[in-house]
Amino acid sequence: MELLKTVFDVFLQTYPGFLKATLITLQITAVALVLGTILGLIFALMKISRSKVLQTIANFYITIIRGTPLIVQIMFLYFGITALVVLSGFWAGAIALGIHNGAYIAEIFRGAIQGIDKGQREASSSLGMTRAQSMRRIIFPQALKRSIPPLGNQFIITLKDSSLVYIISVPELFAMANREAAQNWKSLETYLVVGAYYLVLVMIFTYLLKLYENKLNVDKS
Amino acid sequence: MNEKAFLPKMTLPNKMTIKKKKGRFILKKKYSFLTAIAATAMLIAGCGSEEAKTNSGSGSDSGYKLLEDGKLTYASSGLYKPFNYTDAGKLTGFDVEIGAAIAEKMGLEPNPVTTPWETITQSLLGNKFDAIIGSMAITEERAERVNFSDPYYYSGGMIFVPEGSEDIKSVEDLEGKRIGVVAQSTYDTAAQEYTDDIKYYNSDVVALKDLTVKGRLDAVITADVVGFEAIANGMEIKEVGDPLWIEQAAVAVRKDDEKLLEEINKAIQELVEDGTYEEISNKWFERNLLDVDLEGIEILN
Repeated sequence: MELLKTVFDVFLQTYPGFLKATLITLQITAVALVLGTILGLIFALMKISRSKVLQTIANFYITIIRGTPLIVQIMFLYFGITALVVLSGFWAGAIALGIHNGAYIAEIFRGAIQGIDKGQREASSSLGMTRAQSMRRIIFPQALKRSIPPLGNQFIITLKDSSLVYIISVPELFAMANREAAQNWKSLETYLVVGAYYLVLVMIFTYLLKLYENKLNVDKS
Repeated sequence: MNEKAFLPKMTLPNKMTIKKKKGRFILKKKYSFLTAIAATAMLIAGCGSEEAKTNSGSGSDSGYKLLEDGKLTYASSGLYKPFNYTDAGKLTGFDVEIGAAIAEKMGLEPNPVTTPWETITQSLLGNKFDAIIGSMAITEERAERVNFSDPYYYSGGMIFVPEGSEDIKSVEDLEGKRIGVVAQSTYDTAAQEYTDDIKYYNSDVVALKDLTVKGRLDAVITADVVGFEAIANGMEIKEVGDPLWIEQAAVAVRKDDEKLLEEINKAIQELVEDGTYEEISNKWFERNLLDVDLEGIEILN
């Protein structure tokens, strides 16, 4: 009971700052997801293309990005490339998260596209469609539907991974929690509260995703 | 003739509607996905412009360049109560107020920001802000990479131990003990002289807090003022002996920002002379931090 009360006190003391920080967390996640989805799509298409060069480029990207920790990528973008271009913490973090996600999302898309029965492609080509046409009209709509659940999963991971950008001084939720804990001397309560913020965000996101899945009838595909 | 003309007409529209339907069906789904992405893009549009406009600006008339026009952007860890910390979401503390006073004297708007201590010098050199006003002590090693202003306060490096601890009564007792410090701090260098068993933190306050967890740390070396503040807040720790040394906290700027440093030094001088400094110092510590008897005590540099 005592704990509950102090947790609630911490919540009341921190929510003005935490709400502002939540917005930054959402913004950075949104940038990362848009960028990640675009990159993912491009690299997925490169990977399934018939060009050896494109395949190699895509493989290189995916290998490098999946093979190094996100925090290293964030630091690299923030400090490493300062010699060439000065990025603010927000953009360095968002771009790093986006590039990181792009590699995973590329694999999600590739899996979904290659998972469509090849009989469908054969059927569409027998109807006279070109490879691009059958991809656009037949394969892609189905693949997109199939990739929604794993994409949702990836999006949730991104939302939580965005906490790592605290290391480059972006005032997002986790950075805020660190600051509060250093100020109010209540680590247990503060991290409980910030955990709850992430939980609620993920739950809202999961709900929205479910609405979207229902709209697409993902389970009936 | 009539029939031939009639037939295509019948079939063509039919085909087209089917195609259209199909096309729309596909498009609708594709676009709803894209709109979802576009919508999120909108969400961020506002933030972007606000956060992105960092590397602009120059104070052409003042002779020095600033990250943002008309603003002195200065950094601290934000984890060093009472020097810099967050209160109700706002950055405050002694460093932050001194920084604001300096900016005001220079006719600039104060813009305090936070950054992890481990990378604070890197960030300064990488043009992420104009100056460090975050209790950075002058050391020779640091002075190789940045330029320091005149000191704006003195503080002592001090050993703190858990309240019940009897093991450590002097500096010599630190030998081989587990010591907690902030990485890249002056306390880090000191701790390395006594032990190989160092635990690193990103905040002195967190290190002190860990001191109260049984079995984690034997001692923490940090600024006397910071430890006393923790004790005043009910943390069960105590200090050992007298300060090990006196260190001078100063504003740090990049080597090539000579003009900026000159202006900052002038501002500090003015603050001390017109009593603003004493006012701020008294507000936070009920004494003047520059008013220290330096005789007989080692000054760290």
